Amino acid sequence: MPLDITLFGIQMPTLLPIFAFSAVLQILVDRIMSDTGFYTYVWHPGLFRTAIFVCLFTIPCLLIYR
Amino acid sequence: MRAVNYAVNVFQPLLWRRAFNEWLSIDAPILIYMLKATVAGLSALWISMKLNLPDPRTAIFTVFIVMQPQSGLVFSKSYYRVVGTMVGVGMSLLMMGFFAQDPLWFIGFFALWIGLCTAAGFKYRNFQSYGFVLAGYTLCIVALPVIETPLEIFDIAVSRFSEVVVGIMCATIISDIIFPRHLSDSLLTAERERFGNILTTLADPKAVFAAFDETNPAVSRFSSGVVGLNAVRINSAYESGSDQKERQHYSHLNHEYMNLSTTFHSLKSMVAAIKENERHELLAALEYLYEPIAFALQTRPNTVVDPEDLNHVVGKLLEAKTCVQERYEQKRHEDDTYISAGYLIIRLLNELHNHCVTYLSLLKHRLSGDANKELSRTVRFATHTDNVLVALAALRGSGVLLLTMMFWIWTAWPYATLTITMAVVIGLLLGTLPSPIDGVKDFFKGSVLALGFAAVYDFLLIPAYTSDLLTLGIFLAPVLAFVGWMTTRPKLAIFSFGFVFMFMSQCALDPLYKIDPTKFLESSLAALIGVIFGGMAYLLVNFWSCSLTQQRVSKILRRQIMRVCEGELTIERGALESTGRDLVQQFSTQGRLNMRSSRLVFEWLLATLEIGRAILMIRRSLKRLQEDFHSIHLTIALESIKSYFESPQDSARETLLNRLDAALIVLRSGTFPSEKAQLKRYETLIIEFSLIRTIIFNSTTFPLMKEDSCR
Repeated sequence: MPLDITLFGIQMPTLLPIFAFSAVLQILVDRIMSDTGFYTYVWHPGLFRTAIFVCLFTIPCLLIYR
Repeated sequence: MRAVNYAVNVFQPLLWRRAFNEWLSIDAPILIYMLKATVAGLSALWISMKLNLPDPRTAIFTVFIVMQPQSGLVFSKSYYRVVGTMVGVGMSLLMMGFFAQDPLWFIGFFALWIGLCTAAGFKYRNFQSYGFVLAGYTLCIVALPVIETPLEIFDIAVSRFSEVVVGIMCATIISDIIFPRHLSDSLLTAERERFGNILTTLADPKAVFAAFDETNPAVSRFSSGVVGLNAVRINSAYESGSDQKERQHYSHLNHEYMNLSTTFHSLKSMVAAIKENERHELLAALEYLYEPIAFALQTRPNTVVDPEDLNHVVGKLLEAKTCVQERYEQKRHEDDTYISAGYLIIRLLNELHNHCVTYLSLLKHRLSGDANKELSRTVRFATHTDNVLVALAALRGSGVLLLTMMFWIWTAWPYATLTITMAVVIGLLLGTLPSPIDGVKDFFKGSVLALGFAAVYDFLLIPAYTSDLLTLGIFLAPVLAFVGWMTTRPKLAIFSFGFVFMFMSQCALDPLYKIDPTKFLESSLAALIGVIFGGMAYLLVNFWSCSLTQQRVSKILRRQIMRVCEGELTIERGALESTGRDLVQQFSTQGRLNMRSSRLVFEWLLATLEIGRAILMIRRSLKRLQEDFHSIHLTIALESIKSYFESPQDSARETLLNRLDAALIVLRSGTFPSEKAQLKRYETLIIEFSLIRTIIFNSTTFPLMKEDSCR
């Protein structure tokens, strides 16, 4: 994957669409986990939530920057 | 002496502990919040400097805009800020692509866009409104600086968006990780307090049967907080661990509370009318009817917080239900007022019972995860905004833009773009505040103070003492903490907003230090002129007076009744209630109602809600009742209600009362249906018609306007 991509003629860093994509994914995962009551078993829901987002965001980023 | 020493020895640790607890509950959260705000701001600065973003101050500014003590508020504000920025940036790209060479078209569409965003911001509630406002003024921030060099628009669009995202990420992550404070907790506390208040008020027959008891705070509180708690509930949805079922419970509780308080106040106003007419035996009969309810509530345990106690109360209320129904049946044939007031008491009891069951279900759900009440039906909180207010807001938004654009063109001052931005921001953001002009004044004061701070930083501290990111951070931290402290003071909210806005835009927080005094002075002046323009817009396009507001409210409420008379039958009582409350809340913040006239408006609202609900019930019952029991008098009575509210005059009131009487006589003297379901509908007709009659007979104010209530 290239470091920059062109969307509708606008050049931007690939990180931006990846960010948007992982944010959407994170919201979905978060919704599912909160509705199933998963968070009641987690010590620090906020930290856990952030960690999930970091994983979702960094995995594709590592693929680009490797 | 020894006794004194002994007492001191015993109480000393107690005093210390109390002081410590007090510190822990009041001061510690503020200190933690200041720490959180500072850390979030500095990390936003650090990240954007490391990523080489051209304007790190946008990131740090964003942190302070979305930072709130409770994390749910931060999330929902951030969400709408991202969405608003995206739309605004997209719109800027479009506008620059289409009209960069053509100032006239550019300004025209710009004004249209700002007007649209202001109107939408006014129409929507909570942070949704903020999102629209942001989509409006992002255009100023992105498009105006590069209007001379349109090709740079892509760079600036991408970098502004990235900076906003960096700021938002820092604010949200820090506020959810370091000592998070959840909205859902405060929601539960508020709900518990409200529930306790309901039980105490209703347990006391005096609170119900005294005419005007403003000395009793529980009674005067018995209607507040519906709109506010709904907003808290919506925002809590963004928190981690937020539970959909729990939120559903809260929304049901809010609706039931709304119904309960309407019934309570209707009953109270009816009692007040009975007292005025000095009908003591009627009052005694009603008190006798209410007795079982008060008894059921008086025997409750002191703190109804665990499910077992509440279960006990619910059982008692069920017993009271049968008892009240029996007492009501015994005195069936009394007059209209008794029928209506008795019906209200029974309704109050039913609604109270429902409310308790829902609350019990919430408690069980929180404790063990399973609720005993199935909440399949979703209740919606409907809102209503007066279109005249929306149009005025749009006019103000576009007007201030056009005015400042003219100022720019006439003076040809290069810094006038800052004036435009500032005026538009002020014209959009402060519009939903209770008194925008005071807000603008506070904003102005905050800006002026910030200019002093920024000057010290720009010309003294930053050039002399900072050499890298670390030292810059150390020197910046006190101001950030100070801003954090200011945002925890409700009185300083707008002041601190002005401070942050000006400090961040004037402080030299660029990747490479660059500042010159002329530029500093000119841009500060431009921004301050912008604030003045924004304030002027509020002065000019805000001609609401108390009597005009009353006129608008009464017109809207009357129209609601007319709609209920002929519109669809599917309107729910909840929708009617929430719209009415939202409307009155909006008018009392926007429309400068004084205490007396707010009370009048609240009375109108209650009458409207009660009559509207009764009309819906009548129409539904008529639809399902067999044709044999219909009468032309019923339709005539319904029609005359409509015509009375179309043009409220004393003669129309007389006609209406006569027709209602005629309808009631026909209903009472007619043959009653023998089938049980049909009989129930027939009886509903009698009860609802007599309720309407009692309300219209007793209320002298609605909906005729009383001018003197404004003085």
